[in-house]
Amino acid sequence: MVVNFTMKVGIPRALLFYTFFPMWTTFFTELGAKVIVSPNTTKQIKTEAIRLAPDEDCYSTKLYFGHVMAIKDKVDYLFIPRFGSSHKTNVGCPKFIGLAEVLKSMFPDLPPIIMPFYSTAKSGHGKRRLFHLIFSIGFKFTKNPFRIFKAARRAFEAQKVHYENLFLDEKTLHKWEQTEYLLNNPQSPNESERPLKIVLVGHSYMLNDDLASLNIQKILMEHGVDFITSEQLPRTLIEKQMDKLDYNLYFDYEREILGTIMHFLESKSIDGIIHLIIFSCGPDSIIGEMAARYAQRDPSVPLLQLTFDELTSETGLKTRIEAFLDLSIRRQKKCQLLTLTLDH
Amino acid sequence: MPITYPHFGSLTYLFEIFLNELGRYDIVKPKNPSKKTVIIGSRHSPEFICTPFKIVLGTFMESIEAGAYELAMGGFQAHCRFGYYWPVLKMILEDLGYDFRFRILDHTNPAGLLRVLKNDVSDNLKLFQIIRALRIVWNKFCCIELVDKLLSRYRAVEFDKGSSELVAEKAFKLIVEEKGIRNIKNLKKKLPGFFEKEVCKDTKVNPLKVAIIGEIYIVLEPSLNLDIHKRLNELGVIVDTPVSLRNYVDFEGIFNPFKKTHKQITLKKVKHYLEHSCGGDAQASIGDTILYKENDWDGMVHLYPFTCMPEIISKSILPQISKEYNMPVLSLTLDEQTGEAGFQTRLEAFVDLLERKKESNCK
Repeated sequence: MVVNFTMKVGIPRALLFYTFFPMWTTFFTELGAKVIVSPNTTKQIKTEAIRLAPDEDCYSTKLYFGHVMAIKDKVDYLFIPRFGSSHKTNVGCPKFIGLAEVLKSMFPDLPPIIMPFYSTAKSGHGKRRLFHLIFSIGFKFTKNPFRIFKAARRAFEAQKVHYENLFLDEKTLHKWEQTEYLLNNPQSPNESERPLKIVLVGHSYMLNDDLASLNIQKILMEHGVDFITSEQLPRTLIEKQMDKLDYNLYFDYEREILGTIMHFLESKSIDGIIHLIIFSCGPDSIIGEMAARYAQRDPSVPLLQLTFDELTSETGLKTRIEAFLDLSIRRQKKCQLLTLTLDH
Repeated sequence: MPITYPHFGSLTYLFEIFLNELGRYDIVKPKNPSKKTVIIGSRHSPEFICTPFKIVLGTFMESIEAGAYELAMGGFQAHCRFGYYWPVLKMILEDLGYDFRFRILDHTNPAGLLRVLKNDVSDNLKLFQIIRALRIVWNKFCCIELVDKLLSRYRAVEFDKGSSELVAEKAFKLIVEEKGIRNIKNLKKKLPGFFEKEVCKDTKVNPLKVAIIGEIYIVLEPSLNLDIHKRLNELGVIVDTPVSLRNYVDFEGIFNPFKKTHKQITLKKVKHYLEHSCGGDAQASIGDTILYKENDWDGMVHLYPFTCMPEIISKSILPQISKEYNMPVLSLTLDEQTGEAGFQTRLEAFVDLLERKKESNCK
């Protein structure tokens, strides 16, 4: 096929996009295609998603349907990878593998879907498979193998840079825990007091989706809270926590969540943990229960678990967060009093 | 210390046989899950976990109260939540203050499986004794499966209600008591004749044939699927199910390279619709629908527990298969809240539709 116009590739802004967007967008742009990413989730996308998606899917998967519908008429190809895992034994959610084929089956009039399958854990895929995928996708856009190779290299570099910017190193995290360093400059209502330190735990596609998470990051900032997310935590710390379990936690993204919660329950260096659960997410039901029980056994750090779905209201969420923050402030003051009395 | 295991349809007999073969006679047999089991199970379970978890938790709590100490169950790494069952069960039961030990059998790791069987479950049996026990259990498992299959075929056409169930009871008893691999193999050959002789068949009717597919636990556990096999049989429908433990552990497939396993056959069919495994029985459900259509069956009933991740995928693809192959499929979600009357009505309506479709085809 002779390519004399720029092909348009659509990527829905949902699920794994939030983890891999530098790699995907760079790869297609370098190949000479125009990348069309669906807009941030809006109310319209949400309503459309709820209407079309299978009613038993989790909230985030439902939103994916809305994002696909938002861009399907503007693009020549849809990019919906079937991502199994990139780890030797640990896997991702089965929905990631089935999603492309479910969409194809439910909506036959969609543009052709590029759906590379990659799974290290179950199919033993390695570098060879990766090369195969890169070139089989690349030849759809250009005939120049060097260009494809260069695009792939740039894509991986972009992803690496993204990870480097995202992850904190252990030193910075330690400084943050000691309140020597603030991450997102909250407007503290009271200058003399130190801001509250909260960790936001959840899937990347929940934390970064402002509509789905009902702007929780902004709400926290307005209350003068300095927070970090589970995405930013150093991987070494997470693996250290995972080694303590007597079983292998084999869902890759759940390791991040439970590892973060366990780390802060152990270090006791923060004022609270907020865990965002997606309604009817399979892995979350397991991890949520484990986190709750670990927190119950060692109740020195308060844990707030919030379940999100399309019916969650913003006022209810605000009230709960305010109550949680009040409780944390009170605990903080009590601790200060206690240390003062112990000192004298 | 007394050992127990989850209740799992007629495979419960199998687990008992297995433990007996390994020299364990201190067994606390799990009770048939009742309403109470489900209630106490779901009270302590996570909010949107799949239903089998709730039943397993309830059964274990009842068994521990009846004196069990060792809890044996499967646990392997897949795309499904099943591998997490025991860690979460362990935390919940610990928090409830029970005293117990878990014995986890992971068939994907044969060396580990043999080690657990040798050191923890049995009293240091020799390796060949364990392998012998596995062989006997495998053969008995084939017999039990055959009895189940025959039962759901003969119950639909029996003259005296309940007669084939009595025969099945008798057959199960024979299987449990039989000793020696050769005798068991002989018994397996005799079983179809046994049913043919003892059950009086109504030869006039031309019954519908419906297959049940879906998630393995829900298809095989009568207390959870409200005994759908029996319900359909009572409506005069011959029932079959391709779902069995064999999809997970197939010794014949491992040791006989020339035999094509059921899994391989279904995988070939499903390639255009769901190319890669996404855990559970998702691919098998789709593949079996095509396979049964090719063998001239009338309809499929697809069962899955609420929030089951792999089956939601197959449920979303099944309408396309149903349309392309002209095969009626009824997808039913089940959980502990499922009402009996509503379930029965939907089955009756489905059977009525199938009958009408068959009549119009005959004309």
